[in-house]
Amino acid sequence: MSETTFMGVERNRIDWKPTIDYTKCDFCMECTTFCPHKVFEVRECEEMKLIVRNPDNCVVFCRACSKLCGPDALSFPDKNATTQRIKEIRKEESNA
Amino acid sequence: MLENYAILPCNGLDKSAGVISGEIAKRLCESAENQTICPVFYRVSEKKYNRIAGEHPVLVIDGCQTRCATKLAAEKNLKISKKITITEEAKTHNVELSSNLRLLENDNALIEKILTALNQSEDKLPIIPAEPSVTYDFEYETYQHGKFIFRVPKNPEVYYNENDCWAYVIGNHARIGVTDFVQQNLSDILYFTPPEIGDEIDQFGEIGEIESSKSVFELISPFSGKVIAINSPLEQKPELLNENPYELGWVAEIELTDIEGDKELLIGFDQYLKIMKKKVEDLNG
Repeated sequence: MSETTFMGVERNRIDWKPTIDYTKCDFCMECTTFCPHKVFEVRECEEMKLIVRNPDNCVVFCRACSKLCGPDALSFPDKNATTQRIKEIRKEESNA
Repeated sequence: MLENYAILPCNGLDKSAGVISGEIAKRLCESAENQTICPVFYRVSEKKYNRIAGEHPVLVIDGCQTRCATKLAAEKNLKISKKITITEEAKTHNVELSSNLRLLENDNALIEKILTALNQSEDKLPIIPAEPSVTYDFEYETYQHGKFIFRVPKNPEVYYNENDCWAYVIGNHARIGVTDFVQQNLSDILYFTPPEIGDEIDQFGEIGEIESSKSVFELISPFSGKVIAINSPLEQKPELLNENPYELGWVAEIELTDIEGDKELLIGFDQYLKIMKKKVEDLNG
């Protein structure tokens, strides 16, 4: 059982998280400084110095980090598809 | 035509978007009575530019989403009248920016398109706010955490999403805005980008953007519908969102398309208050 829910659905059942385009990311780490939910993690000693460490901490429908990303390296799933999926899960759960 | 503005470009020298921002500022100053604020010189000597910015509306031109020019404007307490971001303009005009620091054909084409749009935006007639057809009377519950006070409307006609936006529904219309939680977290709001009248918005789709020096907040519409009014005074006075995000700081009104279907994914006052309190405690300890 997920600890948190969004719209009554367990958060870990909702696919909403940033995806990092490593061909664009310049590892400025502005996103880690900005996001208060600790979605990202810095790994200084690894080639990919930035990863999405806690995807379920990401606030569903929030895309603020991508709007602040200078090199435009962050993307999110389609909102409509996510809303539809949430509705489906709610329906499945109410029928269960 | 865009005239009598103080223009603050990011003028970044190591990215094409920054170079374009500087070029647009130059061309706006060549073609009309505008004045450029040099961001580098402004850092070390502010008297001259504070005077210019105080006497003219300010156009901020950011190169990219790092928003260096916006942050400088916030630091200097400038009131932003207009603002563009080159990387976003490139997407809007479907132009791929070159990585070259010299202006190429594509870049010049983009510059022309941006200049045309800026000049045309000045020629548009101002939107006259429609007389409100209904009265929105809010009743509030107050929650205090440390020095922060959060008001939350408790009217049964007000619905919330978990992204801290509210909708006050009357008939098949709803007035939409952000809650105190948003404005307290963003702190001083510098700029408001409204949706367009006539925009068709999906439930949880974007219905405008507000921006402070700390962040950009995408307003997530609780309901689906068509935008029929915007709170145009916010464009010149975005601080109304801080002062009163429910009454003077409402954002838009929409004509609803699926009231009952949308309500299934929304919450009322009791649930929102609980969620908001948890967010406040998580963020502020």
